[in-house]
Amino acid sequence: MKISDLLKMGLRNLRRRKARTILTILGVVIGSLFIIITISIGEGVKHNFDKQLKEYGGYTTITINTHGDVFDENGNYVESKQQKLDESLVEQLKGMKHVKAVTPVINMSANLYSGKYQSWAHITAMDSDTFEAFEFPALSMGEYPTNEDKSVIIFGSSQLSNFYDPYSRSRVWTPIEIDLKKDKISLKFEGRYQPNPRKKEFSLPLKNIAMMEETMSEFDWNTYMDLDYFKEIYLKYCNTLSLEDRKKAVKEIQEFQEIRVGVDNIDNVQEVQDKITELGYTSTSRMQWIQPLIKSSDSLQFILLFLGIVTMVVSAISIANTMVMAIYERMKEIGIMKVLGCVITDIRMLFLYEAALIGLFGGILGNVFAYIASIVINKYGAPLFSALSPGGMAFNMTEETTYSIIPFYLPFVAMGISIGVALLAGYFPARRATKISAIEAMKTEG
Amino acid sequence: MKNKVKNENIIEVKNAKKIYRMGHERICAVDDVSFTIKRGEFCCLYGASGSGKSTLLNLMAGIEKLTSGQIIIKGRNVHRMSEKGLAKFRQNNLGFVFQSYNLMNAMTALENVELPLVFKHMGNKKRKKLAKDMLVKVGLGSRLKHKPKEMSGGQQQRVGIARAFVDNPEIVFADEPTGNLDSKTSKEVMELIKEMANTNHQTIVMVTHDSELTKYADKIIHILDGKIEEIEELKTDHLNDEDEDCIENSDEVIADIS
Repeated sequence: MKISDLLKMGLRNLRRRKARTILTILGVVIGSLFIIITISIGEGVKHNFDKQLKEYGGYTTITINTHGDVFDENGNYVESKQQKLDESLVEQLKGMKHVKAVTPVINMSANLYSGKYQSWAHITAMDSDTFEAFEFPALSMGEYPTNEDKSVIIFGSSQLSNFYDPYSRSRVWTPIEIDLKKDKISLKFEGRYQPNPRKKEFSLPLKNIAMMEETMSEFDWNTYMDLDYFKEIYLKYCNTLSLEDRKKAVKEIQEFQEIRVGVDNIDNVQEVQDKITELGYTSTSRMQWIQPLIKSSDSLQFILLFLGIVTMVVSAISIANTMVMAIYERMKEIGIMKVLGCVITDIRMLFLYEAALIGLFGGILGNVFAYIASIVINKYGAPLFSALSPGGMAFNMTEETTYSIIPFYLPFVAMGISIGVALLAGYFPARRATKISAIEAMKTEG
Repeated sequence: MKNKVKNENIIEVKNAKKIYRMGHERICAVDDVSFTIKRGEFCCLYGASGSGKSTLLNLMAGIEKLTSGQIIIKGRNVHRMSEKGLAKFRQNNLGFVFQSYNLMNAMTALENVELPLVFKHMGNKKRKKLAKDMLVKVGLGSRLKHKPKEMSGGQQQRVGIARAFVDNPEIVFADEPTGNLDSKTSKEVMELIKEMANTNHQTIVMVTHDSELTKYADKIIHILDGKIEEIEELKTDHLNDEDEDCIENSDEVIADIS
């Protein structure tokens, strides 16, 4: 028989038992739907992860704090230990494999004044040579420190919109934005130490200001400076303090609060972190937090994939059952066909085509439903996914977050699986059909 | 094929034997049967039910396996062929008419007649035309799109005949073709088969238990308990509608010859 005739006959046979055909196809639809959705969610997680990596950066950064938090192997906080961070450790870290940048960090709070308004700044002072390595964002104004001039203060994009009037009687906190073109800003370290009443209060008018572009990350809320420049101004400040407090204040910057290590590749973060642990230091990295989230989305995927495989197996059984039933029903027809000179390979092909058609229709419908499901998941899936991934950070939950992405190849893969399973399920019944004796088959009622 | 010698033996059955096993019992359905059928002959296997005549027909058509012996059709040993070879051989040389019509219930008359041509990979247009012409010939030109269930027994058997003859096979096997029909329809169907066979000079092998039908035959093989009781050769030429009465009682004729 010609392929077109086989197809026509197969379709006719499927039409004869509509309810049974539809139910069998339904099994394939559900199976392929699960498989497509599973893979699409996997793609969604990966996509989000990549997007986050791009947006936030910082995934290649390892931080060592003076207060190293110790966790047990389940990730629960146990205690905090003091770690001594000094130049020798910095040098040691610089020599490590996969490490592209190391910088000591000093964090300090300061107040900003502009006219009658004030604000606060979290200053992060670090080696300006490593700014690039730590993926500092582009500047909307000013320039990063150079070797000649390090006296730049770099504001995050949100820094200037946070000023307020401390004497305002309004109960509502109204942030005021400072315009650098008109307003002048000065910086003060205040509150912690007693100033020397005989000296003039320290106040640094800011002249060399740079602004970062908005990044939707921690950069927006911080203020950055070169470490040496920071030390310079801080020591100036210390000189204005009372004698007993001066020593304490100076001591504060003698040890680093933090060391940041930039790793060349995201895959090597764990390795470098392990080496730091070997040195006896506790460190943290974003990767540490991301990993369990990836795992939890992995386990979600695993459950769905398991369901998909189970439904596929069930639908394979139902296809096999359908085909066996079809053979019993059409026993007489098979006999007639054989006597009329139908080659047995054609009879086998006929049953295989029928099975494949079930797989094909199931696959097509499965794809259609999967696309619909994907749209629904992306629209209404947020509560589900935040419930399933503790911390909810695997997905950067915004309006346009996509949880399910169907890559272009997936429909074809799903179709292939459906047809493959159908053929496998149809093979043995089809072989059985060819073994039927024509004379016996013709005697049956049909 | 039509210009071949008329007297050539198209079917040769040599010592054909078929033994069925029913549990521990062995039943000899066909017991050491030998005969020949000439090209263009209308041969009738005549016997009571259970005599083994249908089994013999099935053996000749290669539908059932021989226990021993040989069946040679057109010089080829039917039981030595591969399954595929036999299927192809049937496609090209054999036609079948059954007692219970054996039409495909899901298909229309036209599609049923097309079926043997479909197996032969014939193109859609060509086979449709052939099948349609055939149905017109058997007088069912107005029922092309009807399904078997929508037709009378006689009409169904006409479809069966159209299907058997559509590819102009050299041999047509007919197993009790009128078994399910009343006597009037039986006569019509038999006339049709006879006419078809005469037109294209085809060989017919028909199984029947109805002595009425033996009058259409050129050769009657009487079968009893799996053995040939008698082979009776008749002259075809004076077998037509006018002489029907002369051989009304064929049993007597047979008696005379023997």
